[in-house]
Amino acid sequence: MDVKNPIANPLIVLREEFDDWAILFDPDTGNAFGLNPTGVFIWKLLDGKHNTDDIVSRLCEEADDVPEDAGEHARQFIASLEQQGLVGYEVIAGNPA
Amino acid sequence: MRLMRTPKKIDIDITNRCNLRCRYCYHYESAGDADGDLPVSEWLRFFEELNRLAVTEVTMAGGEPFIREDLKEIIGGIVRNRMRFQILSNGTLIDDDMADFLVSTRRCNYVQVSIDGSIPMTHDAMRGKGSFSKAMRGLMTLRRHGVHTAVRVTIHRKNVHDLDGVAKLLLEDIGLSSFGTNSAGAMGLCRKNAEMVQLTTEERTIAMETLLRLAKKYNGRINAMAGPLAEARGWWDMEEARNGGKQLTSPKRGFLTGCGCYRAGLAVRADGVITPCTMLSHIELGRINRDDLGVVWRDHEALNILRRRQEIPLTSFSFCEGCPYVNACTGNCPGLSYTLTGEVNHPSPDACLRKFLDEGGRLPDRTLL
Ligand code: SF4
Ligand code: SF4
Ligand code: SF4
Repeated sequence: MDVKNPIANPLIVLREEFDDWAILFDPDTGNAFGLNPTGVFIWKLLDGKHNTDDIVSRLCEEADDVPEDAGEHARQFIASLEQQGLVGYEVIAGNPA
Repeated sequence: MRLMRTPKKIDIDITNRCNLRCRYCYHYESAGDADGDLPVSEWLRFFEELNRLAVTEVTMAGGEPFIREDLKEIIGGIVRNRMRFQILSNGTLIDDDMADFLVSTRRCNYVQVSIDGSIPMTHDAMRGKGSFSKAMRGLMTLRRHGVHTAVRVTIHRKNVHDLDGVAKLLLEDIGLSSFGTNSAGAMGLCRKNAEMVQLTTEERTIAMETLLRLAKKYNGRINAMAGPLAEARGWWDMEEARNGGKQLTSPKRGFLTGCGCYRAGLAVRADGVITPCTMLSHIELGRINRDDLGVVWRDHEALNILRRRQEIPLTSFSFCEGCPYVNACTGNCPGLSYTLTGEVNHPSPDACLRKFLDEGGRLPDRTLL
């Protein structure tokens, strides 16, 4: 089965301005989206080498008090980035089942 | 003051050349008048650094940016490095091919064209014969191709009585959504030609009244960051604050807070020297492709001194002694202050309300606001 790893659109600029917050800037449209520290953490793992489960477990490792629904939130966040064209998927060929 | 990790935008004098010699040009005969345009390769390398620093916006000015034969290649570098851009131009060298190219990049925020009159006489008086028709042609070419345009009207002695005509031309006949205004400041060539160019105190009052009236007539479609319209509004704010009728909070009053731009960006001269702003071109912070821009941004002492300017109270200047506006004033642009007084950390005499009134100036009628 092929595995799909989310990968950040390389055109999008991550601007870390203050503290751990950041802005995602789409130069083609000029649109900018604010990211909270968790969003920034996730964005940096959208490198095509991690699948969503990896990202969620990394998130749980890093933060002290991760709420139970953090995984679901992370999935939704990645899905919303995808909808906005900020994230695509890299298909990694898996072992034939 | 919280500082962004990296600058957000960079203002670049992409060339020191220009096909015009406007009598009020702030560029020529200022410290920004730096000979020797950089080769395209230097700019392309610099844009890669801007990309790494997540800079999102470049403004290209000069000189006249469209005089560069390799401008498309330069813009290509901006696009490849994930940035958007705007160009400040006299409009006279723009053709269909260039307008088409600008649209094709999808990254052009706008091209700003300078139009100073409604007829050739008032525009050409400072910019040279034939420049009005060429600038208008350039502006219309951009609009025909769908490039976002902005128009800047610089007010001087020869067009101060043509402002109704300018507003009609730009807002009614051409149908721009808005335009910006400023006035010929005491910098560069303008200082040399001050008698001929700069508004007298009386003309300044006339310009303020006319622009306030027109801004009202056209529902706020005339704006200003500097010049008579901005002054009329800012000075009325100060007048009302002095009487205790208005609280002015942003920027903080009573200190040198009039300039905050180097909190968001830096500038680069045509010779590659990094400066805090095109109006402070004499403050050399380093050179592109030699000095690390991120380090300059965070650590350069001259820049940090400028950033601390906002802690200097206006009461510490003998210039402001006994002024009734001292708690309502910001001291305005340090670039102008430097050209007029030789001091960056000083209020700008050009923007001084008390001086204006002492010289016989008057604020426009309150009802015009
Ligand atoms: S004001 Fe602009 S167009 Fe005029 S001489 Fe200066 S750079 Fe050239
Ligand atoms: S003297 Fe001029 S610059 Fe100083 S506080 Fe008064 S109005 Fe402002
Ligand atoms: S020096 Fe003047 S023009 Fe430059 S950023 Fe400051 S206020 Fe603006």
